[in-house]
Amino acid sequence: MNSIIGIAVKDIKQFFRERGTIFWTIAFPVLILLLFTAIFGRTIPFNANVGIVNEDIQTPVTEGIISGLNNTGFLNVKNFADRTEALRELNATNIRAVIIIPQNFTQNLTTIGHANITLVLDNTNLDVARLIRDGVKTYLAYYYKTYVNPSYTEPIGINEEPVFGQEIGYSESIVPGMLTYPLLFSSMVASTGAIVYEREKGTLKKIRASPIRPINMLIGKTLAALFQTAISILIMAVLAAVLLGPKLNWNIPLLIPIFFLGSMNGIALGLIISCIGRSPQEASNAATTIAIVLQFFVGMYFPLEYLPTYLQQFSQFIPMTYAAQSLRNVMIRNATLADLAWPLATLTLSAIALYAVGILLYKRWVEKE
Amino acid sequence: MSEKVIVEVGDLTKHYGKITALDGVSFSVNEGEIFGLLGPNGAGKTTLMEIMCGLRRFDKGNVSVHGFDLRKAPYKVRSSIGFCPQETLLYDLLSVYENFAFSASLYSLKSSKFKERVEFSSKFLGVGEFLRRRVKELSGGMKRRANLAASIIHDPPIVILDEPTVGFDPNIKREFWELIRELKGYGKTMLISTHDMYEADELCDRVAIMDKGKVVALDKPHVLKETIGGEPSIHVTVKNVGKEKALKALEKYHCVLRDNEIKIFTQNPWEIMHEVSSKLIAQKILTEKIEVVEPTLEDVFIKLTGRKLTEESQ
Repeated sequence: MNSIIGIAVKDIKQFFRERGTIFWTIAFPVLILLLFTAIFGRTIPFNANVGIVNEDIQTPVTEGIISGLNNTGFLNVKNFADRTEALRELNATNIRAVIIIPQNFTQNLTTIGHANITLVLDNTNLDVARLIRDGVKTYLAYYYKTYVNPSYTEPIGINEEPVFGQEIGYSESIVPGMLTYPLLFSSMVASTGAIVYEREKGTLKKIRASPIRPINMLIGKTLAALFQTAISILIMAVLAAVLLGPKLNWNIPLLIPIFFLGSMNGIALGLIISCIGRSPQEASNAATTIAIVLQFFVGMYFPLEYLPTYLQQFSQFIPMTYAAQSLRNVMIRNATLADLAWPLATLTLSAIALYAVGILLYKRWVEKE
Repeated sequence: MSEKVIVEVGDLTKHYGKITALDGVSFSVNEGEIFGLLGPNGAGKTTLMEIMCGLRRFDKGNVSVHGFDLRKAPYKVRSSIGFCPQETLLYDLLSVYENFAFSASLYSLKSSKFKERVEFSSKFLGVGEFLRRRVKELSGGMKRRANLAASIIHDPPIVILDEPTVGFDPNIKREFWELIRELKGYGKTMLISTHDMYEADELCDRVAIMDKGKVVALDKPHVLKETIGGEPSIHVTVKNVGKEKALKALEKYHCVLRDNEIKIFTQNPWEIMHEVSSKLIAQKILTEKIEVVEPTLEDVFIKLTGRKLTEESQ
């Protein structure tokens, strides 16, 4: 047999003998395809939560606008009694925009033929802001032409108020998402690789024959993986600052706990994968597949609003979503420690839970030997 | 060598699914002795050693090392043992010194003790000359020495060596045996697994012969050979074409043909040696070799199991 064919045949045979590798090789395209179908296979591939405040009196026009916006299919409209409450929700990132129908809106529209609404937009994600702005504008024009007066083209104007003082450009929008990358990829790959390497090399035998306890071994591995992740974050942050020059709030005392807890989650996930994987290739395939798929769910730079509602809900169970959100909140919104209490608590609890699973799996794996 | 028992294994049993790897193994090792586990591949030697080091669980029995029960105090048992497996368990990208430092950290060795142990290894195992070199740059022999040094960096009272010289050429093997004997001189108790009967004979104060997960005999090598190995025998090697003819010529003796060699079992081999030789010459059979051979541990194993040491046990 030709030597080239011989090598290829051997590799293919080996591939088919490792069930885990086969599984992840199949899982990767299947998951990606299902995900993209779920995202882009819809008629309206966008779902954003917005708030609406009607300061005008209740009229058929205001009621028509509100129910119409709710039925657009791309906006999940939540009604608020006053703008203070709505803006609080906006600041808490529970909604992406607030549509305010001002006093005398119906009267102006019906008497002088022109009225404005106010759109308070969260500009931290420019894509989402643009889609909401365009969507609301298009709908209002459609509404007026359909239900009020077909001869006027744009009688309802939009006064846009950015919710945050600074102008946010793409650099500002993208850098916090980029900094989530090492939390997901570097940390997972570092910790998966650390155990897999010891197993492959046989050196795990040496460690296990020593009096070191499994928990100490995992902590040691975690520290090394944290160091590697920190290097990735540092390099990325410096390069991003130099090359993109974003006007961001580099609040180091607040960013460090987010990076730390985010990395701990990634590392714990990597440890779990390395204990489940029966071979280095399987573990590596699993880590890659999981990291690539997860990046769509955590809002790094693919906005969560692009996901169908059920997947947006699923993303709330992924710890890294809170890390990405917290980074964005600190760096763009100047969030304080109090604002981060919930996401940091979530990240802490999830890291503890994932670690507990990792330790159990490691111990079980060791005992199975 | 004292009579104080430092390792005690009692009724140790281990199964891998339906396969019995260890079947009620019992023995004890005295402080300061070199104790050998001799048996073919699959006899259960490595499983036994890995259990003692806490690398595998066992189903039944007890193991006591340096006064500590393996079930009750596994970490203390591990601290008392230096385990040197067949394969070189060093990190290629680290220097030998860095590997030693890592091994020392696993046993929480104090820095003063570590320095002392590095000096000992440099002097005793000759690793000083390549202490700062990366492992990947070392020769096979250097790696083995560094591996042994790393496994005893914490100065354990008991050293477990799993097939320590497998794959060595004869000269390096002898050098390694010398190192092991010297280690014994430093008061270490050594437990060695091997399927090399010469290694067991040369090195070990006592040998447990293992087969199919059981200890089938245990004593000093010379006692095993004398009591089980039988009497010396005459070994005759003839040209291939004369084999059948030779067997016929020697039919009055108790002959066995094994590996192209005719073995004559008799009570007084020295007395009939001349007679055997004359018979072969008379029949014009070309003889390559004729010698009286003392029984070996291989003979002991064959007598006990009916198989050779080189055959798989299970």
